[in-house]
Amino acid sequence: MALYQSPQAVPVEFLAPETEGVVVDLCGEEKNLHRLEELGIRCGCKIRMLCPGETCLLAIEGKKMCLRLGSTAEILVQPLTP
Amino acid sequence: MANRASSDRPATVALIGNPNTGKSSLFNALCGGQARVGNYPGVTVEHKTARMPLACSTFKSIELVDLPGTYSLSARSADEAVSVEVLCGEMPSVAKPDAVIVILDATNLERNLYLLSQVLELQLPTLVALNMWDRLGKEGMKLDAQKLSESLGVRVVCTSASKRFGIAEVQSALLEILEKANSTDSRGVLERSALASASFPKAFLESVDELEDWFGAQGCPLERFQIERLLIDDSQAHSYRVIPKRISSEVAQRIATTREHLATQGVSIPLFETRARYGWIKQRVVGVVERQVRERRVSTSDRIDRWLTHRWMGLLFFIALMFLIFQSITAFASWPMDGISFGTQWVGQRVEGMMAPGPLRSLLVDGIIAGVGAVLVFLPQIAILFFFIAVLEDCGYMSRAAFMMDKFMSALGMSGKSFLPLMSSFACAIPGIMATRTIENRRDRMVTLLIAPLMSCSARWPVYVLMVSAFVPKQAVLGGWVSVQGAVLFAMMCIGALVAIPVAWLLKRFVFPGAPSTFIMELSSYKWPSFRVVAMRVWERVLSFIARAGSLIFVTSVLVWAAAYFPGDHSLLDQATARLEAEQADPNADEAKTQAWTSQINQLKSDLISKSYLGMAGQWIEPIVRPLGWDGKIGVAVLASFPAREVIVATLGTIYSLGGGQDETSQGLAENLRSATWPDGRPVYNLATACSIMVFFALCAQCVSTLVTIRRETNSWRWPIFSFVYMTTLAYLGAWIVYNLMRFWLDP
Repeated sequence: MALYQSPQAVPVEFLAPETEGVVVDLCGEEKNLHRLEELGIRCGCKIRMLCPGETCLLAIEGKKMCLRLGSTAEILVQPLTP
Repeated sequence: MANRASSDRPATVALIGNPNTGKSSLFNALCGGQARVGNYPGVTVEHKTARMPLACSTFKSIELVDLPGTYSLSARSADEAVSVEVLCGEMPSVAKPDAVIVILDATNLERNLYLLSQVLELQLPTLVALNMWDRLGKEGMKLDAQKLSESLGVRVVCTSASKRFGIAEVQSALLEILEKANSTDSRGVLERSALASASFPKAFLESVDELEDWFGAQGCPLERFQIERLLIDDSQAHSYRVIPKRISSEVAQRIATTREHLATQGVSIPLFETRARYGWIKQRVVGVVERQVRERRVSTSDRIDRWLTHRWMGLLFFIALMFLIFQSITAFASWPMDGISFGTQWVGQRVEGMMAPGPLRSLLVDGIIAGVGAVLVFLPQIAILFFFIAVLEDCGYMSRAAFMMDKFMSALGMSGKSFLPLMSSFACAIPGIMATRTIENRRDRMVTLLIAPLMSCSARWPVYVLMVSAFVPKQAVLGGWVSVQGAVLFAMMCIGALVAIPVAWLLKRFVFPGAPSTFIMELSSYKWPSFRVVAMRVWERVLSFIARAGSLIFVTSVLVWAAAYFPGDHSLLDQATARLEAEQADPNADEAKTQAWTSQINQLKSDLISKSYLGMAGQWIEPIVRPLGWDGKIGVAVLASFPAREVIVATLGTIYSLGGGQDETSQGLAENLRSATWPDGRPVYNLATACSIMVFFALCAQCVSTLVTIRRETNSWRWPIFSFVYMTTLAYLGAWIVYNLMRFWLDP
């Protein structure tokens, strides 16, 4: 796996279906970030987009999780090439 | 503390783990199958206990407590708070645990170790069950359990709870841990320096020391872990509940000051905690887990999800599935329903044959057998409905449905987490309301809790089925594939959910305003539903339904019978009945005479019931219910059903049994309803009346148990009163609108 040439990190919602990315930053309200990290969504973990949308379905380290954060938090990922 | 004496009390052992780790499966395997198996967050909303058939020299038995699944001990929702309360010994009904079993998903070790790192801080003897051991190979992973045990400093046992692998090892390891806890000073717990909190910033640890001293000086000593949580969690979290009211404002001020001080020291609360704990975890798993680098394969679960979670296909599938379920219920239930109906009539006839006419026979036949039997006849439908719900829960589909529904529910300001309690409410509102404990956001929880009773629970089924079978034509459309009765039943099941949409919107807009909540939920893998689990859930529900029929409905039937029997003089009726029975027993009986006696009996019954207490109540209530197309008998039956809605069927059964609607050709309550007339000879019931009754029952809050549960969950009478008032008003208006629309449609 190699990173895209562009080093630009994007919000996780921007990942296309079946593409993967590595979490590079979490922003937003601290209590929400604390919860995300408890759930294993933290910098360095690998995310695969299964079903995009405002409420998206992700595979995080192989475990499926549905997610809608709205404006309370943002997960920035570095897309990976397939 | 060394070599403590043998105790007569059972040892209390708590079982805790992340959701979807097979925790309840392990609990069942250890205790012989007492708890539900949950494959999505929210099934285990309360702690469950079971006695393990084990004993050691220290304890005569072991009480295992199954705690709700949680990702951390930073409790944000009511169900997570249950876990913390039990572990800290704050739950009044459960003794503080003597040991803890932490179940970890071996295929997702790092995240699962986060919870373990917090549990270890409680300084309780701990056993780790490394579950889903059999799936490591499929995931391309290898795990050295011995190394993990050495690294963590706790006993680790490998298990596959669903396949009953490693259960005996867990039992023997647990006994060893309990023995060791009772025989050594260290109780087999880790040194503070080995805990994750040892890597917290120095300034934070010093602040915890200071607060520990301060709480001690206030006469309110707290455990170190509790103080850490006070500093880390926000003020809405569970940790604040342990503070006595007398010092709560002082505590809040002290915590705020300490946090400000820590911020100046560069301690970022609460994020430093997760980073410190994951740092500790990283050290512990070095050389423990080995992952093979291999091509990602699309699993069967992924393939199914492509369809079932698709924006439109998923929604269509959900609606089609629900429709199919209700069609199946009408198709499969008719034969066993006929059987129960026949059995009830047979019992009634046998009792009549054994006793002379009189009040006792009337009580047994017209009150108890007609009343309770009228409700029990719907048991097959309810069992089939529960079967489908249990299958959908156990195979993993329900959490997908919650994902699908989040898109829709977020438009109402709620989240997909509300979907699961609402779906449970289709079986019964009480577990549905209790399942709202999984919802972290209080406003979402309140709205969900207040609309949950609008979902068409199983207690409404007897009413729907009675009305549909009596007044909706038994025909099929669309080439014989769709039964009209099944379609009307489906519509009735949907009506409460449809009305709940504007109600939720209004509640969210005007009563619980606020920003939309977030939605995060883990989805378990699909699996074949376990026959054992499905059978157990259906059995539990069926037993609960029978228990209600045997208690509340039994008592109501007797009371309704008494109100319909007294104060009239039944001597003439008893004489006429005895003469009729003698006539019927004679093989050469004159049919004209039999008919004459039957007519006289029906006339006497009709006169007696109109002069009874129930008849008087019917005359009083009739003007109120007349706009809905109902007569006084329906009004009384509805009034009697406010404690429990299914009572209406029992009440109508008793009223028409006593009221002379039956003759020897009568085929049950449905026919009695069809033959009921107003004084001018018009039928009381038609399709419009039936729909009006069904809509009223779909929307009305006729369940005392539900209202009491709302009171318990909200800790206030305000919300059950609010529910009762808004739902009863909605029901009256809905029934009035439907009756008048149907009347116009049927007879424009």
